[in-house]
Amino acid sequence: MKSSIKALLLIVATSFGITGCESRTPEPASTNRPAALEGQLPYNPLAWKAITAWTNPRQGTMSTLYGNDTAVTHVRSGSADPYPRNSVLAVVTWAQREDPHWFGAKIPSHPQSVEFVTMPSTPEGQPVYARYQGSPLAQVQNMDTDTVRKNVASIVSERAAVMP
Amino acid sequence: MESRPTARILTYLVLLAFVGFLAIQFVRPAFTNPPVTAELQAPPEVKRVLRNSCYDCHSNQTQLLWFDRIQPAYWLVTKDVEEGRAHLNFSEIAKLPAAQQKGILYEALNQAQLGAMPLPRYTMLHPRARISDEDLAILKNYLHPPAPDPSPDPAIKAAADSQYDQWIHASQASLSVAPAPNGIAYFPGYRDWKVVSTTDRFDNHTLRIIFGNDVAARAISEHKINPWPQGTVFAKAAWTQQVDPDGNTRAGSFIQVEFMVKDSQKYASTGGWGYARWRGVDLKPYGKDAAFTNECVGCHNPVRRNDYVYTFPIGGQE
Ligand code: HEC
Ligand code: HEC
Repeated sequence: MKSSIKALLLIVATSFGITGCESRTPEPASTNRPAALEGQLPYNPLAWKAITAWTNPRQGTMSTLYGNDTAVTHVRSGSADPYPRNSVLAVVTWAQREDPHWFGAKIPSHPQSVEFVTMPSTPEGQPVYARYQGSPLAQVQNMDTDTVRKNVASIVSERAAVMP
Repeated sequence: MESRPTARILTYLVLLAFVGFLAIQFVRPAFTNPPVTAELQAPPEVKRVLRNSCYDCHSNQTQLLWFDRIQPAYWLVTKDVEEGRAHLNFSEIAKLPAAQQKGILYEALNQAQLGAMPLPRYTMLHPRARISDEDLAILKNYLHPPAPDPSPDPAIKAAADSQYDQWIHASQASLSVAPAPNGIAYFPGYRDWKVVSTTDRFDNHTLRIIFGNDVAARAISEHKINPWPQGTVFAKAAWTQQVDPDGNTRAGSFIQVEFMVKDSQKYASTGGWGYARWRGVDLKPYGKDAAFTNECVGCHNPVRRNDYVYTFPIGGQE
């Protein structure tokens, strides 16, 4: 008698157990490990402030433009003047992946590149451009001057996203 | 000799329980299926999925099984149906604007994908209502079919440009911002916080930056993010996606900024987080009254095991 009750309880418990296993659960909380910046970079842009963001749907990438304090103060003022001395801008571009928590969202996956534009310390100087790619991120050497000029012009022309 | 009275008491108790059980069968709250006034317009395969898994609680076409009609199950079921209909009713949804309907469907799909809907206590007894991977694929395909690349829209650009000018010129004057209806005050410093992540939302064509205050940044570097420590504050700013001539999309007009403030005592009734949202460059507090947080909690509830936080923070801010 007793053992049959036990058996019954066991059956009930396991059937509930099975249904429990079948139910969906959200992916547990964690940091976004693939998106971390690995490699030797001159600055850590993630410690800076954000200026704006954009996506490139054809390449499936998303970028955030960061700046050091000098650069951020300048660009958020909306000033038409060139960036002041010692401003540094950084564009981090990540490949996108689907957000496991929300169908309808894409979030950063592996970093594709980190670009830095350092403003000259003298009025005659030119901005210095550096690009880091690969895993771990490493500086790209011997970039042709045309590409460099184009990239600098486009990064410097970005305006701040409205953040009231 | 001793077991006799015990046995008698037991018999009485069983009898009493049985009589009680019979009696409550007659206490039945009124349950009706109101008329279907504006049913969801969707392809048959999509409706089949929703009808099979959701309509019992989210439509005016509830079909109770025989064991749902037995008390006390009946009470619980009718309560779920009443609440379910109040949150989402596929028999009346078509009267809402198309964009809002789409937003609701995305939320519905995600509640199902995260295992929050159909309610697990319901699928335990109604296993056929469980949502399968194929069902999810049908809903996803319907909501997000392959689409051509978006093209630039001059009106969106013009709106963003004029808003930018307004913001640049207003930023000198200090804007006074009213608190949210639940009393949470604005955090003007969010724009200087660390970026925790970004999201590209193809469901509503927005770009978002999620910021975290210093407490959040430290928690990330120490990998102590579930639960998040007291004093954590997240800000999420959203912009329309503005398409450039080269096909890239950028942060266009600012839509809103919203916050989650961790204080387990103060905000115990909303899962330990205080919620607040301000809309537009003039930062109008969102919500008629403090009950606006139900909306936030309802949609963050499926990730309650992750301390109600959706974002996977990128590490390395410190
Ligand atoms: C047994 C009844 C029941 C079934 C079946 C059910 N729901 Fe629900 N649903 C509820 C109740 C009750 C609520 C409100 C309270 C809550 O969130 O638990 C709700 C809330 C919701 C919400 C709003 C969440 C919020 O508060 O913002 C969505 C979206 C939703 N359900 C989607 C679905 C979908 C999609 C299905 C089918 C795959 C489904 N539900 C099946 C009972 C049900
Ligand atoms: C329809 C579902 C939905 C509703 C309603 C909702 N959220 Fe969220 N929330 C999300 C998702 C999904 C994310 C993840 C980031 C993203 O993709 O935008 C998120 C992220 C956030 C974040 C960043 C921290 C995190 O959890 O990732 C904050 C802050 C936030 N929401 C605040 C609010 C507030 C305040 C409200 C109510 C006024 C609200 N949310 C209502 C779905 C929702």
